[in-house]
Amino acid sequence: MKGRFLSLFLPPTAWLVVFLVLPTAVLAVSAFSADGLKALGYSGTWLLFGRSFWIAVVSTAVCLAVSYPVAYFIAGCSPRWRNLLLFLVVLPFWTNLLVRTYALKFCLDPIGWSDASAVIFAIVQNFLPFMILPLYSSIEKLPKRLLEASQDLGASPARTFWKVTVPLTMPGIAAGCILVFIPVLGIFALPEFINERTVLIGSQINLYYGQGNAGAGSALTLVLMVFTVALTWVYSRFRKSEGLV
Amino acid sequence: MRKLLGGFTGLVLAALYAPIVVMILFSFNQSKTSVKWTGFTLDWYRMLARDEKIHKDLLNTLKISSASTVLATVLGTMAAMAARSSFRGKRLYTTLVALPVMVPDIVLGMAMFALFQMAGVRLSLGTAVIAHTTFNLAYVAVVVSARLQGLDRSIELAAQDLGASPLSAFWKVTLPAILPGVVSGAVLAFTLSFDDFVITYFTTGPGNGTLPMRIYSMVRFEVTPEINAISTVILAASLVLIAGALRFSRVPVAGGGR
Repeated sequence: MKGRFLSLFLPPTAWLVVFLVLPTAVLAVSAFSADGLKALGYSGTWLLFGRSFWIAVVSTAVCLAVSYPVAYFIAGCSPRWRNLLLFLVVLPFWTNLLVRTYALKFCLDPIGWSDASAVIFAIVQNFLPFMILPLYSSIEKLPKRLLEASQDLGASPARTFWKVTVPLTMPGIAAGCILVFIPVLGIFALPEFINERTVLIGSQINLYYGQGNAGAGSALTLVLMVFTVALTWVYSRFRKSEGLV
Repeated sequence: MRKLLGGFTGLVLAALYAPIVVMILFSFNQSKTSVKWTGFTLDWYRMLARDEKIHKDLLNTLKISSASTVLATVLGTMAAMAARSSFRGKRLYTTLVALPVMVPDIVLGMAMFALFQMAGVRLSLGTAVIAHTTFNLAYVAVVVSARLQGLDRSIELAAQDLGASPLSAFWKVTLPAILPGVVSGAVLAFTLSFDDFVITYFTTGPGNGTLPMRIYSMVRFEVTPEINAISTVILAASLVLIAGALRFSRVPVAGGGR
């Protein structure tokens, strides 16, 4: 039994040590080089982190506000409609992100919409299913009895929604927010498509990479990595799970 | 209230699909400046068919995605199966396996680049395959792991009690049971790899560009209606792939989007 376990365990683990742990270690070493420390000393770097953070927060909030009614509607449909609508929501996301963003740019450019709000619109448009799917699965599990009980006891529909529905679907809300927030924080290429002058942390890393300044690029990347891993860790503490899913 | 929600859902779906439809339509437009419809043409597709640089990009994309899909499917399935046993440091192990799913793409791309640069390895298709395998491994492991959770372990143990070697118990019992998960994982890996821009951008060598990289540079530096045509072709290719996957098994809905 032990031999069988090792023969399954060793190959992927060896791969991950060489091509995931080692790169991360090299990244950390390179981040603490003179170039890296210099980049972290600039106030502009932290301003950039702040801006990326802000864009990610706003995008996630808009995503949530748009997705909740959609997920709520889908969960209340007949099984047939439900499957069709879920399929329609997910389908675009099996296609190329750059292609989708380009298509959006193609439509936004003629009307001259390319400021920060357009960038957020593009992000929301691209990340919607990551929010809709977890929301849907937690709304779908909502016990109808509790909603009826709340109404029978005299709560208005709005009160039932805020006091019963929202708290019970919190796991879906949290999962959706994490799934949108993290990739958006390190987003690269999409904002530049909509507006060439958008500089977020991802584009700054790319800039350093283009200049051959691996130290500065690594430093910014390491900060991004530490932050996202910490966030996922906090999230996983609130959510019990076994295995890999 | 339901009507209002339904109307809103329709609006959201329209916002998702309208740009794609407009782009496909304009890939058949004659005008080079491409804002006004001036008549139907297949010129941009003809141009695409003759563009040898794009053929090379396509070939590179296929090489990277197929090689990394094969590697990641084998390694990811192994990782998921190993994660069923309990052992010391399991929490660390599962975190490690799933790490590439958790961090933004640019982190993995940049870390890989830092490694290759420090080791003095020249960037090539091979380095891109390595980077893709690392993130695909994570996705395959997560998908296969979900499938394994629904599997009754006593069947495998029964096979071994009845004299099957661990290897033949795997081929005859475990693999057939988890095959839909393995195939879904492989399809997901191939799709992610085929569509990936960020990680490839940091890890592939000069002259080894892929289709998504071509789209990036076309949109940023040389906008022509040919982009509409190539984008439409990529879209169609993805749809064919999904249709195939759906026929074979129920593909996990999450995914893509990178």
